[in-house]
Amino acid sequence: MGHLTLETLARLVDEQPTPDERGHLGSCLHCTAELAAMRHQTESLGDLPDLRPPQGDWDVLEARLLSEGFIQKKGWFPLRSLTATPGWIQAAAALVLFLGGMGLGASVVRDAGADEPTLSSLSDLTPVSDLRPDNLTEAEQVVRMAERQYMNALVRYREMRSVSGRDFAGADPAGRFAALDALVATTQAAVREAPADPFLNGILISTLAERQAALQRVSGNAEWY
Amino acid sequence: MTEALLVRKACDGDGVAVRALYDRYAPRVFAVVRRIAGDDELAQDYAQEAWIRAIRALPTFRGDARFSTWLHRIAVNSALQALRKAETRRKREAPMPETVAVAPRMGDSLLSQRLESAMDRLPEGMRSVLILHDVEGYTHEEIGELLGVTSGTSKSQLFKARAKMREMLRSLSEAGDSSEQDGAEVWGT
Repeated sequence: MGHLTLETLARLVDEQPTPDERGHLGSCLHCTAELAAMRHQTESLGDLPDLRPPQGDWDVLEARLLSEGFIQKKGWFPLRSLTATPGWIQAAAALVLFLGGMGLGASVVRDAGADEPTLSSLSDLTPVSDLRPDNLTEAEQVVRMAERQYMNALVRYREMRSVSGRDFAGADPAGRFAALDALVATTQAAVREAPADPFLNGILISTLAERQAALQRVSGNAEWY
Repeated sequence: MTEALLVRKACDGDGVAVRALYDRYAPRVFAVVRRIAGDDELAQDYAQEAWIRAIRALPTFRGDARFSTWLHRIAVNSALQALRKAETRRKREAPMPETVAVAPRMGDSLLSQRLESAMDRLPEGMRSVLILHDVEGYTHEEIGELLGVTSGTSKSQLFKARAKMREMLRSLSEAGDSSEQDGAEVWGT
């Protein structure tokens, strides 16, 4: 009888040998050693350690979970159940990310000689353009403050337009919807390239909300958002 | 915080709870997905997909099994499905090189590196069976269910995979390097 094949030896790791195989193993040092090596290989596979994910893995995952509405991050507007969230909130929360408080900042002239306020002493009435965050955490706080300020301004703006009956009365609803639809496609492509980028995600969410509103207008639904 | 509470909070969209679950199980998920994928880049995509699926399915987790077992099964299923979609079979079954390059990774023993590298070179079907049986401890019946094959096919693929692994590891050992000369972990007989 020739040497046992590797596949046979692989089987013998789990199963009992036939009488012939047992007889051969009893007299063949080569096959006995090969079987021992095969057993060692199998046991070693079972002992392989877990593997650390690459750096930045959580950041990418978190961005996806946020953008798909599975989790909420403290300080962010709720993204879960987007369909249940009023559209104007979606729009306001997202728009501010790319407007960056510019509208508010433009109306405030900063006194370069004045003492800079500290973040801990601020309220939502403090213009964000006065702030100079020193680190990422503080910068995030400023962004959230700008979010709240911009949202307050936008809410008031919406209320006034609605009361005056001028809510986008001059715009061509179909044309606006087509333009927003094209913008959604573009921003979706951008987010696929950089899924963790909050700026791009903000634009996408905002654009989706605006497109939904535009669709409602096109379809004759007078109710905004 | 107990795991049950973490799961409940994660189910409610609590990012901190999801992060805690991720920290606890990411190495386990990444390991099985990486081995099934046989490729670092694919592995990251597959692991992300596995987590997304798991978080999406959290409301269906009733605690009948351990969370780790439930998550592991999702990761395996997700990776196997992704692999089928990616149609990477052709790449995986490319002719085996004379020697296998082993990229050193911090903290890995030479033996682990060689095993991981050899597994990466196995054809897809064999690799999946070997990983599920010898690394993850699934039975042939469970593997058959996951892969849509009979338990006999699973066994046959396993024995072929072990034999191929043995060939690869032996050739590596014969090619030898200075570290092997030190006698730390020698596979040749």
